[in-house]
Amino acid sequence: MAFTLLTQGSFVSTGAPVNIPVPSSADYFVTINQTQAATTQATGRGVKFEWYSNPSMAAGSAYETLKTNSTNALNQTLISSGGFTYLTDFPAPFAAFVGTAITAASPAVASGFTGLSYNNGDRVILYNTTGMLQIAGAAFTVSSVSSTGFTLLGLPAAAFAAAATAVTARKVYSYNSVLPEFMYVTAVSQAAQGVVTVSVDPTNLVYVGQKLVFQIPSSFGMTQLNENNLNGIPVIVTSVNYSAYQFTINVNTSAFSAFAFPASTGSPTTQLFATVAPAGSATTYDPLLQTYTGYDFAKQPFRSSTSFPVMNLQAGAQSPAGSTGDIVVWQAWKAEAVQYASGT
Amino acid sequence: MSSTTGITNINNMAPELPLQFSEDLLSTPMFNLIHSFGADLHYAESHIGKTTRMSRYERLSTNGGQLDGSGIDPAPEVVVRTDVDATMEIYAKTVVINEQVTLYENDKVLTKFTALLGQWMREKEDLLMRDLYASSVSYINAVGGINGQQPSEITRSDINNIERILLGNDARTMLEGIDADLKFGTAPTRDAFIALASTDITSDLQNVQGVLLKNAYPHQEGLRPEEYCSVSRFRFFVSSKGAKIPGISTPGGQTVYTIPMYGMEASAKIEQNNYSAILGYRPPYVVSSVAQNSQLYAKFAIARAITNQNWISGLNVTTSIAQ
Repeated sequence: MAFTLLTQGSFVSTGAPVNIPVPSSADYFVTINQTQAATTQATGRGVKFEWYSNPSMAAGSAYETLKTNSTNALNQTLISSGGFTYLTDFPAPFAAFVGTAITAASPAVASGFTGLSYNNGDRVILYNTTGMLQIAGAAFTVSSVSSTGFTLLGLPAAAFAAAATAVTARKVYSYNSVLPEFMYVTAVSQAAQGVVTVSVDPTNLVYVGQKLVFQIPSSFGMTQLNENNLNGIPVIVTSVNYSAYQFTINVNTSAFSAFAFPASTGSPTTQLFATVAPAGSATTYDPLLQTYTGYDFAKQPFRSSTSFPVMNLQAGAQSPAGSTGDIVVWQAWKAEAVQYASGT
Repeated sequence: MSSTTGITNINNMAPELPLQFSEDLLSTPMFNLIHSFGADLHYAESHIGKTTRMSRYERLSTNGGQLDGSGIDPAPEVVVRTDVDATMEIYAKTVVINEQVTLYENDKVLTKFTALLGQWMREKEDLLMRDLYASSVSYINAVGGINGQQPSEITRSDINNIERILLGNDARTMLEGIDADLKFGTAPTRDAFIALASTDITSDLQNVQGVLLKNAYPHQEGLRPEEYCSVSRFRFFVSSKGAKIPGISTPGGQTVYTIPMYGMEASAKIEQNNYSAILGYRPPYVVSSVAQNSQLYAKFAIARAITNQNWISGLNVTTSIAQ
């Protein structure tokens, strides 16, 4: 038989979106939330979500079978967001959401959106950030998401001159197409071992022993971190604080110029952005800790971030990836013959 | 009624066959392949895992070193090695053909489908290298333009800034200069770095100060058809598949194009020994239980890496006219 007819798997929901590769593509995709199927909730939750390739379904949609409040009675509905998105190739930015503010705080908080369907850990590109144009065009990981806003853990904006009075956000894929990837630098401390803050969650991107090359325009200060000013000394990551989007480097930045975002008023002629890019690794052995660095073959090789096609499952009580702790079973079907209605 | 005229014409006697097959097939579209030729080619041995390590010894410090006659030796320096790893990945495409297609089609479909798969391999490899550049390299916004966007359209000052960065990091140019000749309207080109851009920015490239369009090079021999122009120390190659991110510029929400600009040994493409790129055929008796479907396939292995991050940079740009 020429085609894979069925693949199946399961996962325990972490409350975050899940990407499931479907190498043979899919004509039908279904998830069953076994945890929710065996219980009831005060507000009925989705137990079964279905997706069909043709007639094509809009990104984020799904046929949801959900329980009635506090009973096992089932209802069915078509949801237009928070469902499935079938990606055959690396996606362009998703639809734009317009908000009204980003606080000048650390961390910054974006608000004023309507109907946001983001999950914690999603990545967005922000633009049209009126009053905070020095970040317009950069990518950020979002957390503490709601339907009206999110927190930008990787943006310490307390030193900014003003809050943003407008913002547009477009979700992009969780990683660039190839890993390890470049990152936007949002802060660097002046310390015996500098601490770098980046705009995205560095999990899977940064590791101890990684070498990095900074590209910091003069508009951000601390150009001493640029490779050509370091007399060939490689910048090496010595520790990582993933939850704070920070890592420590082996460079004494105490006497360097302070790192700071340029003023929003300099847009669009001020050079942007400060970035850091992967430059290999230092393979070493620490006899005190008896640990090797530089042999992390999961994180350090250049590689594809995802194998396409992939089915993206959004998370949540009314979404196929479920809520934290839910056991979700999925199946991907590939039809060997299809007969579609005319006009589809 | 045509029969009343007594003339036999194509109305009362239509051709037996209503159409004929033209002697040549029309061209299959193929985008410019620009992202691969500037990468160093390496090979991975088989039976030693799927990750290849490329290593570079960093230069020694030039600080100090003078012997002052005291007999005291200078402090030894620890040599630093940088390891760059890349994981081999295998890509494949297949076409399954029912016997009735080969039976009834006028064309030699298996031959044509094989050619399509060959084209797919080259195009896929090109896009994989493009994605490497788009994902793992630092870019700076163009700011010298006048379109009011963040980033702006490409300008000479932006290009010069990237040249400054590359030269400051001791990057070496990739392409040799082209000497001047006694031809009107031509000018020599300098030894140059490579820049890879979307075809969408070609109108802006023509307006960059000091641009030398390809037709004004003194010699055309050996030039790649994908080359568009030379500006300062960069020669620009363009493709409709150049990297871009739609709808994220400020304030217009225009498409932002990323232009990798690099010198020698900035990136690598690794091929797998004992796994050559393959165009294969599986006969019907293998593919189908009733021997009705045959299969063509293409497979290749590739690993890719940025091998020296100091020798590659680039620009984010928009266009003068919104795309």
